[in-house]
Amino acid sequence: MQPHVSRAFLSLALVLVAAAAWAEAQPPAAETGCLACHRDQPSAALATPARDFALTDVHRDRGFTCVDCHGGDPRATDKVAAKAPSTGFRGKPTGAAIIAVCARCHSDAALMRKYAPKQRIDQATEYATSVHGQQLAKGDTKVATCVSCHGAHGVRLVGDAQSPVYPLNVAATCTKCHADSERMKGYTRAGAALPTDQRVKYETSVHYRAMVDRNDLSAPTCNDCHGNHGAAPPGVDAIANVCGTCHSVFASKFALSTHSQIFDRGCVECHNNHDIAQPSDEMLGTAQGALCATCHSEGDNGHKAATSMRAGIDTLKTAIGHSEAELARVENDGIEMGAETLTLREANNHLTLARTEMHAFDPTIVESVLAEGMALTAKVDAAAEAGRREVSYRRTGLAISLAFIVLVVIALQMKIRTLENRS
Amino acid sequence: MTQQLYAWLDQRLDLSALQHFIAEKSVPVHKHRVWYYMGGITLFLVGVQVFTGILLLLYYRPSADEAFESVKFIVSQVEFGWLIRNIHSWSANLLIFMAFVHLFSTLFLRSYRKPRELTWVTGVLLLFVMMGFGFSGYLLPWNELAFFATKVGTGIAGAVPVVGDFTMRFLRGGDDVTGATLTRFYGLHVAILPAITTGILGVHLLLIQRQGMSVPPSVEKQEKSGATIPQMPFFPHYVLHDLMWWYVALGVLAALALFLPWEIGKKADAFAVVPPGIRPEWYFLAMFQVLKLLPAHIMGVEGEMLGVLGFGLAAMVLLFLPFLDRGAAEGRSSRLVTIGGVIALAYMLVFTIYGYLAA
Repeated sequence: MQPHVSRAFLSLALVLVAAAAWAEAQPPAAETGCLACHRDQPSAALATPARDFALTDVHRDRGFTCVDCHGGDPRATDKVAAKAPSTGFRGKPTGAAIIAVCARCHSDAALMRKYAPKQRIDQATEYATSVHGQQLAKGDTKVATCVSCHGAHGVRLVGDAQSPVYPLNVAATCTKCHADSERMKGYTRAGAALPTDQRVKYETSVHYRAMVDRNDLSAPTCNDCHGNHGAAPPGVDAIANVCGTCHSVFASKFALSTHSQIFDRGCVECHNNHDIAQPSDEMLGTAQGALCATCHSEGDNGHKAATSMRAGIDTLKTAIGHSEAELARVENDGIEMGAETLTLREANNHLTLARTEMHAFDPTIVESVLAEGMALTAKVDAAAEAGRREVSYRRTGLAISLAFIVLVVIALQMKIRTLENRS
Repeated sequence: MTQQLYAWLDQRLDLSALQHFIAEKSVPVHKHRVWYYMGGITLFLVGVQVFTGILLLLYYRPSADEAFESVKFIVSQVEFGWLIRNIHSWSANLLIFMAFVHLFSTLFLRSYRKPRELTWVTGVLLLFVMMGFGFSGYLLPWNELAFFATKVGTGIAGAVPVVGDFTMRFLRGGDDVTGATLTRFYGLHVAILPAITTGILGVHLLLIQRQGMSVPPSVEKQEKSGATIPQMPFFPHYVLHDLMWWYVALGVLAALALFLPWEIGKKADAFAVVPPGIRPEWYFLAMFQVLKLLPAHIMGVEGEMLGVLGFGLAAMVLLFLPFLDRGAAEGRSSRLVTIGGVIALAYMLVFTIYGYLAA
């Protein structure tokens, strides 16, 4: 390479490095005249938004500034000039204005494609269908708007664990209002006051335990059943569909049952809504504590079906338990039972399947699944029995071998003594 | 016919000389002679390992995909496969145990003293080779516990200064424990170590036959003061004693194989979470436990490296003990050797138990 060409490359590289360093040294986009004044305001109401926005905000990170939501002229040094009507200053948007401000960008497909191409753009439309949106349209400004859930300044991405709408935080965010009995006063549903114990109940549910104890973020929280932007209680006819979003097999079985025509609240009739307990076999049947007996009385077909299905499930459960114990015993004695362990797992699958089929409330289907499960346990029991016979055979063999060994040892000892006496 | 065959062989192999040697050979009789049989039992267990090992070879498949399944097949489908596998596993452990008993009895009776230095050296080398058998054989069923224990074990080899990294990679056949390690350990277990054992064991047995049994210094003193040490003929007296002990060992092995079957465990999975209670075989446990307890750095030097060096030094002292304890040949029993032996024994006992309890 020629020396002058090298020098040119070197100069270019230096310019690029200097440009990168200069760009690095530039204040973030949010560093505007608004922030310069608001940050140092003695009033917390004026200073905190500026400080929060300067600290972290998904919009700030993408180059948006205060004026994009509030209007005004950030270059003006004078407060009056900065907020002059000619600058488009909007001040603090409230109520429907918040929806409009957010939707200006979030409903703009072309704009959103630049920043988050996969993000939906129908939040505002959905919001209008929600109870919140409908109430707002009626002039109720107490209801939640975008900022109530996402925050106004310091907005974080939904996937950020510190975001108020991160799955683990949703229940707390919703119940900020919904657990506040004072705030909820006056709101009714089907003529009754809206409850404020949803969170307390939810925290006892199997869904909450899955999410919090097992950190399963796919477990449902408020918005998974109620919707988020279009939040509303699922209608009576929609409950089975909502639950069926995840529990699809149960929903399809339930749809076949006569109960689907009779139950006013679908799945909720037996499983409750916010406080959904871990389902158990004890819920089925007619014994004390079983749910079927709530409606069915002795002699009716439902009573008979529930009793029969519960008895069948209990029988298979007991048979599996027995087979497990037998397998463990034989394996403990050194017999390899890997194939039988798999068969037993299959029997367990049949038990689960019977519990699923039960939601169609047709005893004949359940009985046929249970019969297959029982046949599998019988197979395992037969193998365990063969294993026990094998153990017994081995022990007999060992006893004979040991007897022979002891005899040889005694004979050798006698021979040694004879030899020693002789010498 | 038999006589004719004997005469035919005698002309070619000079069997009469061997017969004469055996007929003339005698073994001293004294109160410590029970320890003589420990070596015999160890030898018997080596034979059991060879026999059962060859049978296992017929069905075992040394690859990461098939090893575990083949062991499962051996214990569940092959006629008496369960017995052979259990005996092989138990015999391996009893073999190392008996080798230690043999070593400590030889040490305390000072049987290594002149002129049996080489018998001791070959014996200690055999113990190291047996431990190598144990280490390589542990991985062969390719189960979870063995997989992670081998990872830890080969990792410790990596702590050796200068050659550590090479040794670790050489043992593993790469950077990590994989199917390549299994194949390598298999080759080591069924070809390289047996070849080494054959050579060293041959020398060890030859030396014993050439030099005869050592008597403890206390008995030797009596002999020197004019007392006659009673002797028993090697054949058939001593051989029958040996045979009797071998039968006892066989009975113990059979009972252990049946009542305490060796577990197969879960198939090794490199991506699985390391199961709790990972530990090596019991004969490495005392060393493993010490390495675990050592601080990360001792006076600026890596603790594990110091530990490995310490064990290396101890192994060298053990190997060359006859040349370090020169007074033993003159009948001066070194108290240092006795104290060292007792400490080593106590250390092994305490730290092995501690290792089990800590896991």
